[in-house]
Amino acid sequence: MYRVRALTTVTYLAPMIIGVGLISLYPILYNIFISVTNQNLYHFRHYSFIGLTNYQSLLKTLDADFFIVLARTFAFVAICIPLFLALGMLNALALNHPAIRFKAFWRVALIVPWAVPSYITALVWKFFFNGEFGTFNQLYRVVAGPQAGLPWLSDPNWAFGSIVLANLWMSYPFFMVVILGALQSIPTELYEAAAVDGASAWRRFWAITIPLLRPALLPATVLSAILTFNTLNTAYLITTGGPFVSAAKPGATEFVMVYAFREAFQLFNFGYIAAFAVVIFMMLFGVTLGSLRFSGLVREEAR
Amino acid sequence: MRFLSRVVVPALIYAFLIAMLIFALFPVFFVVQAAFRPGQSLYSLTLSLWPDHPTWDNFVYIWTKIPFPLWLRNSLGVSVGTMVAGLIGSATGAYALSRFRFAGKQMTLILLLAIQAFPSVLALIPIYLILKTIGLVGSPFGLVLAYMSIALVFCTWNLKGYFDTIPRELDEAALIDGCSVSQAFWRIVLPLSVPALAVTALLMFLTAWNEWVMASVLLLDENTYTVPVGLWGLQNDYRVPWGYFAAASLIVSLPVMALFLGLQRYFRSGLTVGGVKG
Repeated sequence: MYRVRALTTVTYLAPMIIGVGLISLYPILYNIFISVTNQNLYHFRHYSFIGLTNYQSLLKTLDADFFIVLARTFAFVAICIPLFLALGMLNALALNHPAIRFKAFWRVALIVPWAVPSYITALVWKFFFNGEFGTFNQLYRVVAGPQAGLPWLSDPNWAFGSIVLANLWMSYPFFMVVILGALQSIPTELYEAAAVDGASAWRRFWAITIPLLRPALLPATVLSAILTFNTLNTAYLITTGGPFVSAAKPGATEFVMVYAFREAFQLFNFGYIAAFAVVIFMMLFGVTLGSLRFSGLVREEAR
Repeated sequence: MRFLSRVVVPALIYAFLIAMLIFALFPVFFVVQAAFRPGQSLYSLTLSLWPDHPTWDNFVYIWTKIPFPLWLRNSLGVSVGTMVAGLIGSATGAYALSRFRFAGKQMTLILLLAIQAFPSVLALIPIYLILKTIGLVGSPFGLVLAYMSIALVFCTWNLKGYFDTIPRELDEAALIDGCSVSQAFWRIVLPLSVPALAVTALLMFLTAWNEWVMASVLLLDENTYTVPVGLWGLQNDYRVPWGYFAAASLIVSLPVMALFLGLQRYFRSGLTVGGVKG
C-alpha cells in the first residue's frame, strides 16, 4: 500500500466513482426521494410530498401486505436453504468417495442446472407443472389413471412446493461445488487417525467433516439465503406470484421481489414500493454487513 | 464388513448418483426433445419421451419467420457493451482501492458494499423512472446503462479482490526503481491480471446475456428485444407452439452453458458467484 499524489488517486478513481455515482448511487438516492412522494399511475408527473405516509401504510398493521410477503419469503428461505444444503452435501460426499470412478464426468453432469439461464429453467418447469399437458401429470396419469391430476400450480401449498422444487434443481450445484472444494482440502490423515482411534464413519463425519466445512459453508449459506430471498425469475415466470386466493391479498408464491415487481410495473404504485424497497434494503444491508464482519472480510479490507 | 464397504456402499452411491443424473439432466433433455417435436404434438395428455417424427422445422421457423436473428444481434450488442464499459470503467478504480492509501477509502468500500446489497429488482424502479424522464426507456442504450449499474460495482469488487492477491512487492519494487504509478499499473499489474480480467468480462457478459427482468421492463419494441424478452414473449403467445421456444433456447443457451461449465473452475470467491445468477 503506498501513498501517491492526491491528483493521481483522483484520476484513477474518477471513472469508477463517477460511473457508480451516476448510475448506481443516484438511483438509490432517487428511490429514497420517491418513497416520500405519492408518485403512481395517476400522479406520474404531478406528484407531491406526503412525508412518511408510504412507510405508515407499509407497516401500519400486522396483516399488512408487507408482513405477509416478508413472512412468506422467510418461510421460503427457511425451507429452501436446508434442502439446498442437504442435496449439495449428499452430492459432494458421493463425488468425494474414493470408490467412485469418472469423477470429472459426474461433476460436470451434476453442475449443469447451474449453467442453465434462469428464465429458461423457469419456463421448462412451468411446462412440467402444467395441469393438462405437463410432464409430471402425464407421469402421474400412468400410475393413477387417465382422469387423475395433481394441482401443481393451482393449489396455494402445492404451488409453493413446486417453486421450492424448481429452485432446488437450480441451486443445489452451488452448494455441491462449494462443499466438494472444502472436502478436498481436508487432510485424509485426520480420518485415518480417527479410524485408528476407533471412531465410526458417522462419528468421523460429525466430528471432523462438519466442523472443518463450517468456514466454507457459512459465507456460501448467507449468500445463497440472500439470493433465495431475492427470488424473482422462478416465482414470477412460473406462477406470476399466484395462485391468488383473494384479489386484495398477495398470492401464495408472491415473495418480496415478486411483490415489488408486480406493484411497480403492473400496478404502478411507485411511491409505495419505493418505501418498501428502502425497508427491505436496510434489512439486506444489515445481513451483508453482519456476515462480513462475522467472516472477517471487513477487517481484511481495512488493512 | 468388508463386503459392505467394498460392494454395498459404492452400489448405493452409484444408485444415488444415477438418480441425481436423471434429476439434473431431465429438464435439459426435455428441451432438446421439444425442439425436434413437430407442430403441436407436445400438447398431449399422454407421456411421450421422444417425438415419433423428429424434424428441424422449429429451427427453420425461428430463423426465418420471427425476428430471432435480430434479437440475437441485440443481445450480443447489449452484452458486449456492458462487458467492455464495465471493465474500462472499473479497472483503474479497483487498482486504486487495492494499492493506494487515501482518506475515505473505507467509506468507498462500505458504499460499494451497500450498493451491491441493493437488489437489482428494487433498483430497477428508480432507474426506470429516471430513464423515462430522460427519454431512454425502450432504447438498448438505456438497458446498457441499467446493466452498468450492476456491472461497475461487480467488476470493481472482483478486480480489486484479484489485484489484492498480486504480491504488492512487485509494483513497489518497480516504483522504487523509478517507475511511475501508471507504468506500474499498465506494465506490471494489468498483464498479470489477464486471466482475472477475462473471467470478470465473461461473467459480466453471461449476466447481461441471460438477464430477463430489466430487459422486459426497459425494452418496449419487438425490434429492440434481447433474446430472453423475445423468447418469453413467444411462450406467452398461445398461438405459438412451445417447440419454437425450445429450439431457440437451445441456440442461445448451449454456447453460454459451455462457456459457464468451462469457467466454473475459476469460481472462487462468493462475490464472483453472486454475480452470475441474480
